[in-house]
Amino acid sequence: MTASILTVDDSASLRMAIRIALTGAGYAVTEAVDGADGLAKATGTRFDLIVTDLNMPNMDGLSMIRALRQQPAQAGVPIIFLSTESDAEMKAQAKAAGATGWLVKPFQPDQLIRVAQKVLGK
Amino acid sequence: MTEDPTATFRVEAGELLDQVEQGLLDLGHRLGDMALVNAVFRGLHTLKGSGAMFGFDALAAFTHHCESAFDRVRKGEVPATAELVSVILSARDHMAALVDGAAPQAEGDAILARLAAAVEAARGGGAPAEAAPVGAQQGVRLFFRLPADAMANGTNPLMLLDELRELGEAEVRVRTDTLPPLGALVPNECHLGWDVTLRGDITREAIEDVFIFVMDDMTLEIAPLGDAAPAGVVPVAETPPATTIAAVAPVAAPAIVASAAVSPAVENVRVPADRLDALMDRVGELVIAQSRLSQLANNRHDLLLRSVTEDIERLSGELRDTMMVLRMVPVSSLFGRFRRLIHDLARDTGKAIELQTSGETTEVDKTVIERLFDPLVHIIRNSCDHGLESPADRIAAGKSETGLVRLSAHQAGGEVLITIVDDGRGIDRERVRAKGEANGLIEPGQQIADDELLGLIFHPGFSTAAQVTNLSGRGVGMDVVKRTIESLRGAINVASEPGKGSTITLRIPLTLAIIEGLLVRVGESRYVIPLSAVEECLELSLEDDLRSRGHSLITLRDRLVPFVRLRDLFSTGTRPDPHQKIVVVATGRERVGLVVDQIIGNHQTVIKSLSAFHRGVGSFSGATILGDGNVALILDVAQLVAMAQPREETLRAAS
Amino acid sequence: MPQAKQRAEAAMAATDTSWNARGELEVLTFDIGGETLALEATMVREILDLLPETLVPGAPALVRHVVNFRGRIVPVADLRLAFAMEAGETTADSRIVVIELPIDGEPTLIGLRTDHVREVATLNAGASEEAPAVGMRWQRDYVRRLVRWRDDLIILPDLTAIFAAVLSPRS
Repeated sequence: MTASILTVDDSASLRMAIRIALTGAGYAVTEAVDGADGLAKATGTRFDLIVTDLNMPNMDGLSMIRALRQQPAQAGVPIIFLSTESDAEMKAQAKAAGATGWLVKPFQPDQLIRVAQKVLGK
Repeated sequence: MTEDPTATFRVEAGELLDQVEQGLLDLGHRLGDMALVNAVFRGLHTLKGSGAMFGFDALAAFTHHCESAFDRVRKGEVPATAELVSVILSARDHMAALVDGAAPQAEGDAILARLAAAVEAARGGGAPAEAAPVGAQQGVRLFFRLPADAMANGTNPLMLLDELRELGEAEVRVRTDTLPPLGALVPNECHLGWDVTLRGDITREAIEDVFIFVMDDMTLEIAPLGDAAPAGVVPVAETPPATTIAAVAPVAAPAIVASAAVSPAVENVRVPADRLDALMDRVGELVIAQSRLSQLANNRHDLLLRSVTEDIERLSGELRDTMMVLRMVPVSSLFGRFRRLIHDLARDTGKAIELQTSGETTEVDKTVIERLFDPLVHIIRNSCDHGLESPADRIAAGKSETGLVRLSAHQAGGEVLITIVDDGRGIDRERVRAKGEANGLIEPGQQIADDELLGLIFHPGFSTAAQVTNLSGRGVGMDVVKRTIESLRGAINVASEPGKGSTITLRIPLTLAIIEGLLVRVGESRYVIPLSAVEECLELSLEDDLRSRGHSLITLRDRLVPFVRLRDLFSTGTRPDPHQKIVVVATGRERVGLVVDQIIGNHQTVIKSLSAFHRGVGSFSGATILGDGNVALILDVAQLVAMAQPREETLRAAS
Repeated sequence: MPQAKQRAEAAMAATDTSWNARGELEVLTFDIGGETLALEATMVREILDLLPETLVPGAPALVRHVVNFRGRIVPVADLRLAFAMEAGETTADSRIVVIELPIDGEPTLIGLRTDHVREVATLNAGASEEAPAVGMRWQRDYVRRLVRWRDDLIILPDLTAIFAAVLSPRS
């Protein structure tokens, strides 16, 4: 069964790049343009993985992650956030909000796929 | 920019491994030389210590066994034997593989077994050697526990266990000691811990990578398995690796004879190769911009501007020359690698082979060095496989039992000459002729000059040997060798005396990237002719042009020189300029005049290579970017000369 | 629709095009000689306005020119010749699409002259079909598949075959 991934990012080109990489690896990808859109699309369904940027208009990534973790249905869904550098402070905040792991920008497509495989299994 | 310590270790490990290899090869010739034994021991010792420091636990463990074995030789308990040296050489290869992270466990165990046997044999039997416990248990035992909310936050312990299983042979046992009673259990929470035993080359790095997302919140305990313990717990206090590595280098150098000439007390700075390449690119672009500036300045009558522009020309030329020198590397590094090759070839063919080298300090551009490796290996293999005779045959022929292969390098003019000489049986002309006829390259009975006959061996598919050896996965054959040398804008020549041996000569130009060029115009396009090939430039008057319609020869100081109208060759379809010029170019003994519409001037040419589509197009060896951003193709003088030759001969014959 | 599914499976079975698990392919579409072609978006490096081109005398007709692309010498290919289309005029819409393709084992940059670059699109394996054996005016092995997209029939060219044909005649 194809794993479904939600990507949340206000940058269209980054969304496209992530989508091309993940669909190339056989995942099904849904896109959201900001935290509010992401929350709306995730609520009521269950994605296998959510990949999200943190800095977005209309609800930032941290708020979206916190809101998602309030929903019992989302328990256990891996959430990977994109960090702009190896910022320990940001990582701690995101982990506290409920994120599972991270990927440092800029990243190569295969790094993204490796992280996806890490949390989803191969 | 922070340096990556692991990368630095890899570079230094590489150097240590080279030194250990050279030391072992020398020791093989002089088994009693304790200075060599000590040098090898120190190299192994340092490798072990720094390996452990940088987390290369498997390397440290493996090297430890070799070091212990060698320690016994050092202490005089066991004599050095050829077999021992041979095993440690294999061990060294395995260590190199461990540094790269691609070493099969079984191979390491096999080598350690051979090592134990070799030490035993050296002792002449008796109590079992303590060195190299066979099949040392390598691996780790770890325990981990995740925070209670880990699963709710998307961490899946099953995925982590799967990742651990990929690292090696795994045994997993769960610990349920902290499970709350059922009534108090929240299903989302994780209260389990796991004991995992992993067998294999397991590094701390790999384990931490598995747990990277949860590292800060979890409990993780790792301990090495079995008595491979020394690896994991080599006391860091042992000797700061930095100073030890530095100490080994100068001390080992005098002990390791016949390796690269090491000048004492020269201050060196280590620069990553890609930084040098980036610098080279910048210099290339600077040259282009400077030539553009010169063009502009020459069009203005501003003396001050011109004067500054001249300064910049001079400085940029000097910078370019300095860059050339920076990229030069002595061929000794290349020759050094062949010692091992000869050693292995001698063993494989059962022949006694000696390698002599001279001119190791001759310097060549570093990119050239790398690309020369495969061709030289092929040539040396040929000499050893087919050129040199077996010891019995050599004695029967009145030669010494040991075959000789001599590698030498020296600079002459703007070139480096590398020769490979062997004193074997020489190239069998009859076999070459037979193969040539079989391949349809020559007619049976066709008269052919000796050097042309020998030249046949460079044809694709031509191999008088039954076996085809596969170097680095790429196809081999003298045709590939020739093509590689030519891609370096060099030339290869073969000379051979039956019964006495063969000599192969490679000529490589000193600089690859930037040459002095002559910019010319043909029709509406511009081309560059390498200035080093240009002998002279003449006017071709309109009358001479018309007069020589039928034949393309011009008399140049009592000599007939063929010429090529580039306008025709390139089918420009344009009318000739009233003041055409002939640029006379030469390669070796032959020359040709190239008729162009205009000589624009000198141009410092940064050579860019052509894509596969255009590489084979006869007349061009590359391209360059002019000051105005347009592309100009660089003429391949050797090809043009070759193209013009037959006409000269037939014309001479006809007249 | 079983027929479409069959087509999709057949398309995906052919190994020269990497349709993803859902039978989709992200492509860049562009026009040449009145036809619309498509190439995997992943091989596209850049889209440029026309640059001054330098002729390489003696080069195969398909790749007769080179351009200076950021200091690199990049061959420019005229795919019209591969599909026996007539040469046309360049217009304000003409572009060079720079792609990267392995040639002889090395990743090589090649510029493709196009009349008009359209958009990035998602093609569906189910909407594709094999090039017909007869009745097509193009050389069959130069076409990987024909794909229906919106109202058009798009050509997925086989660049590897086209460029291999260019390279092989030379000894």
